Amino acid sequence: MRGAILATALTVAALAAGPVRAEPDNYTESERGRYLTILGDCMACHIGPDGQSLAGGHLLETPFGKISVPNITPDDETGIGRWTADDFDQAMRHGVRPDGTHLYPAFPYTSFTKMSRADNDAIFAYLRTRPAVEHRVDRDTLPFPFNIRLLMAGWNWLNFTPGEFQPDPQRSAEYNRGAYLVEGPAHCGLCHTPRNLIGGDQTSAHLEGGALQGWFAPNITADKRLGIGDWSEAEIIAYLRTGHTERSAASGPMAEVVAYSTSQMTEADLKAIAVYLRERGGAGSAAPAPVPAEDSRMRAGAAIYDDTCAACHVGDGSGATGMFPRLANNQLILQDDPTGILRVVLQGSQSVATPQAPTAPSMPSFSWRLTDQQVADVATFIRNSWGNAAPAVSAEQVRKMRELTAERPD
Amino acid sequence: MSVFSRRQLLSATALVAFSSSALARNFSGRLPWRPNEAYPPSVVRPGGWYFLTADEVATLDAIVSRLIPGDDLSPSGKDAGCTVFIDRQLAGPYGTYEWLYMQGPFSSKPLPTQGIQSPLVPQQQYRQGLAALAAYCRQNFGGKTFEQLAPEEQDKLLQGMEKGEVQLPGLAAPNLTTTMLFNLLLQNTMEGFFADPIYGGNKDMCGWRMIGFPGVRYDFRDVLNNPGKPYTKPPVSIMGRPDWNGAPT
Repeated sequence: MRGAILATALTVAALAAGPVRAEPDNYTESERGRYLTILGDCMACHIGPDGQSLAGGHLLETPFGKISVPNITPDDETGIGRWTADDFDQAMRHGVRPDGTHLYPAFPYTSFTKMSRADNDAIFAYLRTRPAVEHRVDRDTLPFPFNIRLLMAGWNWLNFTPGEFQPDPQRSAEYNRGAYLVEGPAHCGLCHTPRNLIGGDQTSAHLEGGALQGWFAPNITADKRLGIGDWSEAEIIAYLRTGHTERSAASGPMAEVVAYSTSQMTEADLKAIAVYLRERGGAGSAAPAPVPAEDSRMRAGAAIYDDTCAACHVGDGSGATGMFPRLANNQLILQDDPTGILRVVLQGSQSVATPQAPTAPSMPSFSWRLTDQQVADVATFIRNSWGNAAPAVSAEQVRKMRELTAERPD
Repeated sequence: MSVFSRRQLLSATALVAFSSSALARNFSGRLPWRPNEAYPPSVVRPGGWYFLTADEVATLDAIVSRLIPGDDLSPSGKDAGCTVFIDRQLAGPYGTYEWLYMQGPFSSKPLPTQGIQSPLVPQQQYRQGLAALAAYCRQNFGGKTFEQLAPEEQDKLLQGMEKGEVQLPGLAAPNLTTTMLFNLLLQNTMEGFFADPIYGGNKDMCGWRMIGFPGVRYDFRDVLNNPGKPYTKPPVSIMGRPDWNGAPT
C-alpha cells in the first residue's frame, strides 16, 4: 500500500515538472543529449529571458551587426517544436534551416559539422524533453546586405568545410576525444581563432587567438610563450573546472564558458581537452626583445605599478594564488594584441564563480585614475618585466579601448 | 506494521533525491561588482577664488604663512596652497556645514563636550572674523591691514588671539570669539597643508614629504620584510605622483 502511494507521488511529481515529451525509453539518450548541450555551451547564446530555458532572444554582437539568437525550446510556433531530428541535424552540420534558408555562422555549424549524427540526435531528444517556452525572437536584425541569408551560400563556399570528425588512428583515444570536443561541440575556435575579413576562420592561424566583442581570446595552441604550452595538464584542467589557476582567472566571455560549460564537464573530457591542446602543436609569434627597463615608458610604468598594482599582484608580479593572478609569464598579458590587459586595467574585472572556486575575486576599474599614457606605460611595463616580453602599448590604443569600454561595458 | 521494506525505503529515497533540487537552494556569494564602477573625488581646479574676496585672500595668505613659515623644512602655507584649500572648502559643503543640524537652541556657555554651538557656518565665521581682524588692525596699527604688518607684529597679534588676550571688535560668544576664530584658522591651515593635493593645498605633497607620510599607499609587505632599513619610497597622491608621467621626483 505504502509503495503504491509513493509511486503515485512520484508520478505526480514528474507530471508537475511540466509537459514532458520524451518517451521513457529514451531517457538515456536525452540525458546524453543534456551533457552534449553542456559540451556545446548552448546556454551561453540561447539563454532565454528567464535565465534558465533555451528560449533565445539574446543579441550576439558581430562585426556585421547584431544577430538575435533563436528559441530552441520545443514550442511549435516560436521554437523548434515542428522540427524533425533530420531538420536538427541539417541545421547543426550544414547550417541550413528546414525551410532551406541559411543560418549565420555566428551559430558555429562550422564546428558542429564535425559532430556525429548520433550526438545530434541525442541533443535533439534532450531539447524535446524541455518545457516549450513561447518566446518569439526577431530573426532579422542584421543590416543590409547581411540580412540576405542567401549570401551565406557564397560564404560557406569560401569558409565552410562540412564533414564529420575523423579520428587520427596514430593518436590515442584520449587525444581524439579531445580533438572531437575542441573542434566539434565545444567550438573553441569560434573565439580563439582569428577571423578573416568576412568573419571566417583564418585556418592558417587555428586557435592562435582572436579579437571579439572588444575582448581578446588568447592563443590556446601549445606555444610556450603565448599559448598553453607552458601549462601542465593539471593546470588546464583546473582552469576549465574552476576558472582559476595561479596565473589566470576566467573573466568576460570565457567566464560564461566556464560557468555554463567547462566547469560541468566530466574529468575525463577535461583531461582529453588538455591532452589534445598540449599535443596538437604550438604556433605563435616569436618573442620580441623586451622594452629595456631604462626606457622612459618603463620607468613611468614601474612607478605606476608600484603604487597601483603591487599591493595585490606583488612587486615581482607573482600575484597571490587563488586571489590575484600572477602577471609574470601570464599568457593573457603577453598576447601581441593588448586588448586583454587594457580592458582589465580600464574597466576592472570580475572572475567567474564556480562551485570549486566560489569567491569570484574582482579588480576595480582604474580608468578614472590613470591617463591614456599612464595606462599604456603600466601595460608596457607589465608586458616587459619579470621575464615577460611583448610589444609596447601606445596611448592611442588605450584611447580606443577607453571609448569601447565606456560605451559597451560588458 | 513492520518497519519499512527495502523497496519502500529505496522508493522514499528516490523521491527525496528527485525532489531535493526543488527544495534545496544554492547560494553562491559573489561580491557586487560592475564594470567601470568608480567614485572618483572631484579635483580642485586651479586659478580664481570661489568664496574669498581679494582682501580676504591677502590677509589669509599672510596668516597661513605665519602659521607655517617657509623654511628649509617646507614651503610656506601660502606657497603650499593653504589659502586655495580654504577657499575651495568654504565654497563646498564645509562652507555651509551642509551635513550638520544647524537649528537652535545654541548654548551661550557650552561645555567642551557639547561641540559646535555657534549658529554661524564657516562661511559666516570667516567673513565676519576677517572683517573684525581688519577693523582691529586699522584701529591699532594706524590704518594698516594685517598683511602690511611686520612678521613679528603679525606673530604677536596671532599669539594674542590664540590666548584670548586680544579681543577683535564685535566678536562674542556663542557666535564667534577671537579664540574660536584663531582655532578655526589654525585647524583649516593644517588641513590644507596635510590633505591630499587634489583638494588644493599640500602642493607637490610638500606636507607629506616634510613628515615622511607615504600618502595613499596601503601595502607595506616589502618594507616590513626589511626591518631596520629606512623607508625611501616617495609619497603618492590620490591622483598619483610626478614619476607616473616619466618625470623624476
